[in-house]
Amino acid sequence: MESNASQDELIIQQHREIEREISDTIKLIGEKENLSTLKNEYINDPVYQKKILDLCNKYENIRRTRPDGNCFFRAFGFAYLEHLLDKKDQYERFRELAEKSKDQLIALRFPKFTLEDFHDVFMEVVNAVGEGGEERMSELYRMFNEQGYSDYVVVYLRLIASAHLQEKAEFYQNFIEGNRTVIDFCHQEVEPMYKESDHIHIIALSSALDVGIRVRYMDRGDGSEVIAHDFPEGTAPRVHLLYRPGHYDILYEKNPSS
Amino acid sequence: MAGSALRRLMAEYKQLTINPPEGIIAGPVNEENFFEWEALITGPEGTCFEGGIFPTKLVFPPDYPLSPPKMQFMCEMFHPNIYADGRVCISILHAPGDDPMGYESSAERWSPVQSVEKILLSVVSMLAEPNDESGANVDAAKMWRENREEFNKIAERIVRKTLGIPAVTQV
Repeated sequence: MESNASQDELIIQQHREIEREISDTIKLIGEKENLSTLKNEYINDPVYQKKILDLCNKYENIRRTRPDGNCFFRAFGFAYLEHLLDKKDQYERFRELAEKSKDQLIALRFPKFTLEDFHDVFMEVVNAVGEGGEERMSELYRMFNEQGYSDYVVVYLRLIASAHLQEKAEFYQNFIEGNRTVIDFCHQEVEPMYKESDHIHIIALSSALDVGIRVRYMDRGDGSEVIAHDFPEGTAPRVHLLYRPGHYDILYEKNPSS
Repeated sequence: MAGSALRRLMAEYKQLTINPPEGIIAGPVNEENFFEWEALITGPEGTCFEGGIFPTKLVFPPDYPLSPPKMQFMCEMFHPNIYADGRVCISILHAPGDDPMGYESSAERWSPVQSVEKILLSVVSMLAEPNDESGANVDAAKMWRENREEFNKIAERIVRKTLGIPAVTQV
């Protein structure tokens, strides 16, 4: 059994290394591309071709993210901060909320000592969006492609989502399968890096920050339309994401509303 | 990326120096390389490992604290959750999903807000209360369950060895 466990550990490690090698070739946050580039990916696929056509009626651009299990949080973080670049009021509201979130997390017994580092880096990125002039966009892009900043933003967003789930544990318990408590779920599925996101992560983050997210689901389901889900339900979307099984990218509307 | 890991490790080292947990001394082997630490752990009171001083080594990955360090005992050890080569096998040293031992779902896992201190305290509890369900050392797990007296004898011999005291000769 001992050698088996060792063997298993080696296999897991190897598996993870291969995954990393593949994903490392893709930028954490890519350049804005024309949405029509998606067509080339599914040339012989009539189902997806139809859906891409539908998507192209509504959206202009796509920005790809690295498929490393953090894509939802990273895509959201980048897209929302980018959205805030020219929206002073919304930016101020968010900055204040982000600033205060630290005390909220400490009140939920997150360890202050390790939390502070993540909060500081998160605020550094948020502040970079508020300050400075023309270069803010390229600065945001640079920070999100620098692992030290980008991953810390992901960690902090995960903590915010976790805190929200814990605060409303009684409600969210209904959505958690198996015999896990909300806290177990947060420790195992929300806080650790590289763990993929599900509906519950999206509901938690969008509710915690009070920021609407529209996810467009592109899968093999019937119909030619790419179905939209808004989180939290009924909120005006500020961030649009494209979901293809297992992965989120950022979408840009044709005629963006504010 | 290694920049943020270094910053964090330096902060943790400082914290552990100013405010060390009881019975634990930890820090980089040499200050040129913060990614390799040595920790001395005192066997918890009232257990068969009481009085022992156990040298261990922690190796941190470049993306620490996103991923956990690895930990190994550098002395002879006989314990259900420690492999024969000294590697420690407890849930907090694994990210969820990366657990060959299949820990209980409520067991504490690694996440970026955990710390070296939390790991070391978990190791102290592990010494006090082995988890014989996840047998990294099957013989030790079996003996812990079935022949505690014999297990305690081996532990006592190991404790003496860590202190450089010769084993008691049986009368």
